[in-house]
Amino acid sequence: MIPLMAALPMLFAFIIVLLDVLHLRGPAIKAAFLLGAVLPIPVAWLSRGSSEVVGGWAREAGIEVALTETNLPFIVGELVLFVFVSVYSQGYFNPRDKKTPKVFALLLLAHAGLLGAFIARDLFNFYVYMEIASVSAFALMAFSEEKGAKGAAFKYLILSLLASYLFVFSIGLVYMETGYLNADLISKAAAPSRELGAAIAIATASLILKAGIFPLHGWLPDAHSRAPTPVSALLSGAVVKAPAYGMILMFSALPAGEPLRFILLAVAVVSIFFGIAMALLQKDAKRLLAYHTVSQMGYVLLGIASLNFVGAAYYAMAHSIFKGGLFLAVGSISTRSRKLGEFGYRNAPVMAASILMLSLAIGGISPFIGAYAKSLISSELGGWWKLAVYLGTIGTLMSFTKLNYHLMRGVSPQLKGAWKLSSLGLALAALLSGLILGAGINPKDALGIAIAVGLFAALKASGLLERGHPAPPRDVGREVNLMAMTLVAAIVLLMLLG
Amino acid sequence: MISPEQAGIIIMLVGIYGLMAKREPVKLVLSINVVSLGLVLFFVGLAYSPGKDVPIMPTDPVDPLPATLMLTTLVVDVAITSLALAIIIRMRGEGE
Repeated sequence: MIPLMAALPMLFAFIIVLLDVLHLRGPAIKAAFLLGAVLPIPVAWLSRGSSEVVGGWAREAGIEVALTETNLPFIVGELVLFVFVSVYSQGYFNPRDKKTPKVFALLLLAHAGLLGAFIARDLFNFYVYMEIASVSAFALMAFSEEKGAKGAAFKYLILSLLASYLFVFSIGLVYMETGYLNADLISKAAAPSRELGAAIAIATASLILKAGIFPLHGWLPDAHSRAPTPVSALLSGAVVKAPAYGMILMFSALPAGEPLRFILLAVAVVSIFFGIAMALLQKDAKRLLAYHTVSQMGYVLLGIASLNFVGAAYYAMAHSIFKGGLFLAVGSISTRSRKLGEFGYRNAPVMAASILMLSLAIGGISPFIGAYAKSLISSELGGWWKLAVYLGTIGTLMSFTKLNYHLMRGVSPQLKGAWKLSSLGLALAALLSGLILGAGINPKDALGIAIAVGLFAALKASGLLERGHPAPPRDVGREVNLMAMTLVAAIVLLMLLG
Repeated sequence: MISPEQAGIIIMLVGIYGLMAKREPVKLVLSINVVSLGLVLFFVGLAYSPGKDVPIMPTDPVDPLPATLMLTTLVVDVAITSLALAIIIRMRGEGE
């Protein structure tokens, strides 16, 4: 039953392509798209907590899929986000446009790929589904009309593909050493060796690139800010979570040494603060949100590196919900200009409420889901690392004070009902999931908000935020060269130090 | 003599060199194809052991799994190459 979660969206993606070829546009395609988006939900509900080997083979010979404590939050986050993204897309892509059916088919393929990757317990099967999701994402980005979007898609494609091949190479090393691809069987057969050490270093570095974590994040801000709004939400909310789940699979299967985990914790903390610092300097609203993805994925990595897989999974779910919501809400009011200060939510109370709620959620303020996820992450961390989580919260709140400060002053163009519905829906999801999971109300959060607002006012007065961020070099090829070098350097360092 | 696995790794390194040194988009796509070919050779080499049987009605077969896995990777490679070339054409059209 579990494989149906990936199979159903894929089936409807093919049905959409077929309907398009037969010129049956309009309601039929819309119905197929929505069915493909929601049908995995009942399947997930019915098969929660179970595991199976596809085709009934023995575990050694077959492909195992499961819904466990660790991957269920990823799946829930993806499903909630995708439902709202699909509602939003109905109001975003023109149904008369010839491209629209293709966009819908690609969105469903990304949905299928993500679900397939999250249910996988087998490394190679995980790779295949992660690639389905990434390839659909490249194609979806290339649909954007914006200048520079094709270059961003190309950069993302080449780097992500290089990382995938290196990841498959490390799977090959693991298979050579242990003879298995299934994560549980590998963990029983694995004995520490140089080959496995190399495999885990290569896999970690390449998955960090695909997850967009500092210092391998170079492709992310361009890709996430230039894609069409619903695609940005899906990219930032869900596609970068698949490699994070891959890291969880890898770390649960292979013994990760103490030095490697320490390096990863350090990388995670640097990523958190680098993302915040860059976000504070941005003038483009979607780019600001994209840099926060770099920062937020740092928290997920903190969870993974401290072997707190459940915490990482809940953080990933929380991030899917609030970052997806922020992209949808901010993207809707910035259709004319994305420059901060030129648009806002003064005339759109629904958007104002959603963006404020989502900003509090990403800042980890109770009773939103962010607070619950942050408390889970810091529960397994030692003293100094915990402090980093708290300071990161203040930084995030500061950056979102900046966003809301600019949004409060501007007005937005005409908004569609579907846009308001999906933004508000995700904001309420962030609140309700927090309440259900028991985030509680913590009066100390008011102090955090006060410090963040104060710091923002001080920074604003000092004029540091007005400094122009130097424009990145235009040449796509050169950027790919640099990032490939960084990836190779990261692999070498992880191998030597891990 | 070097083994097929080692040859595969060397070919992958050649491709990675291309990704670090060439700036034309088409050459980058070709480099990534070289990486994938090295990867395929590495996997095929993993399964091969001299003197073993073909995995069809076997008595003492080689391991058929790595070669099968590579079929999937080859498919991904073909799909991505066509997509990358299409994006390059669009990039030229935009004058980037």
